[in-house]
Parts: sequence; structure tokens; C-alpha cells
Amino acid sequence: MNDIVTVFSAEFARRIRSGPFLIGLIIGIVGLMIMTRLPMWLENLTQNQTHRIILAGEPALTARAATLLKNDYIVTAQTTHVRPEVKRLEASKAAAQIVFSRASGVLHVTVYARDPAEISQDRLRRDLMPMSIAELTGLPGARIDGALAFPLQVNAIGSKFASEDAATQAHTLVFTLIFVLYLVVLINSQLIMSSVAEEKTSRIAELLVATVDPVALLAGKILASTALAIVQLVVWIAVGVLFTSGHTNSAGAGSAIDVGALFTSNVVTPETVLIFFGLFLIALLQLSTMFAGVASMINRTEDLGSLSGPLVIPVVFALFAAMAAIDVPDAAWAVVCSFIPIVSPFVLFARISVSNVPGWEIALAFLVNLLALAAIAYGSAKLYRVGMLLYGRAPTPMQIWRTLTT
Amino acid sequence: MLEVDHVRKEFGSVRAVRDVSLSVAQGTTFGILGPNGAGKTTTMRMILGILTPDGGSVRWNGGSVGRDSRRVFGYLPEERGIYGKMKVREQITYFARLHGLRSPGVEPRVARWIDRLGLGDVAGRPCSELSKGNQQKVQVACAAVHEPQLLVLDEPFSGLDPVNADVLLSLLNELKAQGTALILSSHQMWQLEELCTSFSIISGGENRINGTLAELRARWPTRVVRVAPASPGLAEILARVDGASAAGEANGAIDYSMPASTDFAALLRRLVAHAQVTRFEAMEPSLNELYLHAVGVQA
Repeated sequence: MNDIVTVFSAEFARRIRSGPFLIGLIIGIVGLMIMTRLPMWLENLTQNQTHRIILAGEPALTARAATLLKNDYIVTAQTTHVRPEVKRLEASKAAAQIVFSRASGVLHVTVYARDPAEISQDRLRRDLMPMSIAELTGLPGARIDGALAFPLQVNAIGSKFASEDAATQAHTLVFTLIFVLYLVVLINSQLIMSSVAEEKTSRIAELLVATVDPVALLAGKILASTALAIVQLVVWIAVGVLFTSGHTNSAGAGSAIDVGALFTSNVVTPETVLIFFGLFLIALLQLSTMFAGVASMINRTEDLGSLSGPLVIPVVFALFAAMAAIDVPDAAWAVVCSFIPIVSPFVLFARISVSNVPGWEIALAFLVNLLALAAIAYGSAKLYRVGMLLYGRAPTPMQIWRTLTT
Repeated sequence: MLEVDHVRKEFGSVRAVRDVSLSVAQGTTFGILGPNGAGKTTTMRMILGILTPDGGSVRWNGGSVGRDSRRVFGYLPEERGIYGKMKVREQITYFARLHGLRSPGVEPRVARWIDRLGLGDVAGRPCSELSKGNQQKVQVACAAVHEPQLLVLDEPFSGLDPVNADVLLSLLNELKAQGTALILSSHQMWQLEELCTSFSIISGGENRINGTLAELRARWPTRVVRVAPASPGLAEILARVDGASAAGEANGAIDYSMPASTDFAALLRRLVAHAQVTRFEAMEPSLNELYLHAVGVQA
């Protein structure tokens, strides 16, 4: 135990001051700040880029259209000159000229756009719908507006969230946390891989394994890596809370989610937090143990990439599967993925956060993951014990397999 | 007391060590010699418990080598490594702690080793900034800071300049005087000859010869007699000795190889009776000659 503590302390102290860790931490903070502010910036950007348009046709039609389109477009001019002219568009810096006419009681709309991709047909149809109905039915506009503003209420039934807004915010939070989990797990797994490879390639490994039991050495390193990842996660989450609390998207003055408010409004429960940390630790331990074991087999740091590549693939798959599972948490594939080690922590967290996953599924998934962790630890310890003294050519996958099975 | 009894180690189809036995008492220095690939490093790794022998046994003070014995062992591998970014004092402290030393004793112990090896000026600097000689001193400190009962050093003098080699030599002698058993492998025969009390020459994964230098020399079948001046008369007397053969002539002296059982006192009397003899020396075989003979290379 003393050996593990000694290795842990030295490894933690060495790596928390190391360039890669600090750079990763800072990049993460900057990334989170950007992620939390990005929706607001995009919204502002979109507002600033609201397209200017010219309305042409009968004054009664263009006047009515101007009222209906004012929320989505800036109407720079209303004219009776229906023939489009590029010079006119350029003069008023307009993106399009929209020509209105009526024939046989049906509204006709023709758009002349400098870039057709900039004009959304769906938005135009939605905005001009009352006008089209008025033309067709002859009903007054006010009556149509009243009819279209019928009472609509969305109520949650059997859902985790009380309202659509709460569900949207929770989805955004889970999406962000899964991404953070992915980053922390991957960064730290790569760091422990580099650390083991450094000891191997700098030839200090032999001195170390002569001094302490290789398994104690490996355990100390993995625990230090886990502690560093927790530090990283806590810092990132703190930054996330700090930069989102007190701001709401609807006001247009803040981030897409208000993490602080999510905690106080029960969208995020203590159970969710606990499960997140549990799954985070499992994912981290599974991957860092696996990466450390494999790293002990390499002889040159140049070989790191070729060996880490295949290990990263399941993590990337886990990220995408979890993101997809946010929208369909009860799909059969998502349930199956909840029991596949490495993929499971990501997918299970996504499902638990947005739906009511049965307790037995959670318990079984945790059990499977813990058993997988034990198996990975056993295999990695075996690889590490042999690999740290193995010099020469880079091992083939077959050699790694033989080491694991003999 | 370390006892290595007929150990054997194979890596797949490669038999790295076939049959090696040796014993090392406290306060003695044991030299392991052998050509590259002879099995020296594998033997050392088995002694330290890094590798488990496929056959035979390694015993320390009567018990098998385990976690507790590692605490009293020290090892300086041939392929030396160092944490480049770690500072000298930090690095030695880390290894002291790994060897089981704890505060408050560890700090003064580290300070003493830094002072002992003349690393005071660089104690606060990262190891990567040190000269190769100083880096090797740090590695020695890491291996021996806990003042082990058994210190195994694989090629400890390689890469050291004469001054640093001398520092290491004195340090090893100090440790030996304190009762540390030393096991060394080196290709620097003169240093081994100076340090070691017993030797084992290993070749092809097997002991070729074991024993003290005196015992090894006693088993050597011939001696070289050097006589000056190199006169034909003296050469004729030397040539008449049973089993003698000319072994060369240099710097006004003649060398003759003859059986170790020769009565050298009688031979000297015969030579002196014939002519004036300015030099007479019956030379013992050097460790290098013993080594070359044992591994099958003509001296």
C-alpha cells in the first residue's frame, strides 16, 4: 500500500505541473467558455444577419406581408414595380425581392434572390400562411390570426421532465457532459499512456520494477491519473457553472443552459450527479488501465499512435452512440450498448439523464462494467509486468494476445 | 547471504540462462563476467526478483526473494534511465521512498547522498540539464540511497570518466566496508580485479568458473616467467624447463610460458648461477586472461 501511495504522490505531483496537463486544462476551460457562450453569440450573429428584403406588388398585399414578415426579415422597401432589378437590390442592400400577386383567389408569391439558399421557403410559407388563408377564404386577417393562435399546451406524462423547456435544457446539459466525459477520459488515457511509454523508453522502467512491484507501480499511476482527471473535471464543471449561472437563452443574454438553475429546479438531481461520477470513474479506470497496459509494450514513443489508434475507436463509437441515445434512450440498440464495457458508461449516462431507466438495468450495467474493469486490470497488469522489460521490436497484436493468454 | 542455486530461464525458444549458481556473503564483492548475451543481466534480474527462474532457486538469508527482500536490495541496471524533468533531489527522494524510507529520516539521508556524490551544486536542477557523469551519479544514488544489504550493479563504470569512475569506486568500497554485499558485472577487468573478492565467469548461460581470484589463479595451468636481460644464455636455460615455450620478447626481457608447478626458486637460482639477472618475475594470470580462457578465446 505504501508503494502505491508513494507512486501516486510522485506521479500526481509530477503530472499536475506538466505542460500537457496544464495545456489540456486550459484548452478545456476555453472550450467550455466558448461552448456555453456559443449559442448566445450565434443568436446575436443570426440577428445581425437578418436578411433585408424588398416587397413588390399591390400596396394592400405588400403592406399585409410587411406586417407578417417583420419578425424574420427587414423590409427595406415596398414598391409596385414588380419587375426585379439587381441594381435595386444592391441599392437597398437587400437579399431578395418578393413579388406578391393574386389570381383566382389564390395568393402567388415569387422570390428573386441574389442567393436562393438564403431565403427559407418554409419560413416564408409559415409567415405568409394567414395571408394565403385570407385570400382563399375572404376572412378578415384578425380572425385568421385569432384562429391560428389556438391554445396549445404540452403536458409531460411518464416523462422525467415537467416541461419541454426543462427537457431541452437537460438534453443540452447531458450532451455537454458526455462531451466533457469523452474529453477527460481520452486526454487522461493518452497522458497515462505517454507516462508509461516515457518510463519505458527512458529505460527507467527496469530500475522501477526492481524497486517496487509492477502491479503497485501500475496501480499508483492509474490512481494518480484518476485523481488528475477528477481535478480536471471539477475545474471544468466549476467553470461551466460559473459561466452559465444567472443567464438564460430566452433573454438572449446568456448561454443555452443555466446550469445553476438546472440544479435548483430539479432537472439535475443528486442521483444523476452520483451516477455521472460513478460512470465517469468506471470509464476512466477502464480506459486508463487499458492504455497503460498497452503502452508498456512499446519501445519507441513513435509507436504510441499506432497502438492507441485501435483503442480510441470504441471511445469514439461510445461518444456518438451516447449522443444518439439522448434522443432515443429506450431504443433496443441503446439498451444493448448500456451493457457493453467502455461504451456503456457513456450510453447509460445519456439514457439515465433523459429517461427513466429501470433500476435492474442500471445495477446490471454497473456489475458488467465492474467485472470488465477487473478483467482489464488483470490483463493490463500481466502486459505491464512483461512489457516493462521487453525491448526490441514493437510487439505484434498476436504477441500482445499471447502475453494476455499465457 | 545470497545463494543462487542452478537457476534457469528461457524466453520462448531462447535459453537465456541454462545453469548458473553462485553465492555472495555479506560485505563481499562478487564479480560476474561474461561476453555479451552470456546471461549476466538475466541472472541479475532473477536475483532481484524481477524475473522468476524457470528452474533452480534464489535465496536471501535462507528465504526466497520477495517483496521484503526487495527493500534491502539495490539495483543499477545497465540500461540506465532517469526522469529528465524531475529535479535531482526530488528524484533521489522518490526512489528513497520507493525503497521504504519515510520522513523524517529520508530528507537527511538524501542530503547526505547528494553531498557524498558531489551533487550539491545541481541538486535543484532538472536531471536532463546534468552532464552524463552527474546523471550517472544520480542513478547510483537512486539505487543505493537506502543503503541496501545487497547492491547489484550492471556495468556501473560504463560511460564514466576516470574521475567519476574513481568516485564510484570509493563509494562502492565504502558500502562494502559498511557490510553491503555487492554484485558487479563489468567489462572493465582492472576495476573488477580491484573491487571483487570472488568471481563467476558465465558463458552460454552457464558458469564456466567460480571462485576467488586466488582460487581461479591456482587452477590456471601455466605461468609466464619474464627474465631480463634477454640474453641467449638465459633463454636457453628457460627453454630447457619441462613444458616451457617462448612467449615473446619485449623491452629487453624475454617471456616464457611454463607449467604452474615449476619450481621457480630453483629456476631463479639456475639463471643467477649462469649470468647476471636484472629481472625475474613469475607472472600470475590476469583476470582478463582467466576470462578469455574461460570463455574460450585464446589469450
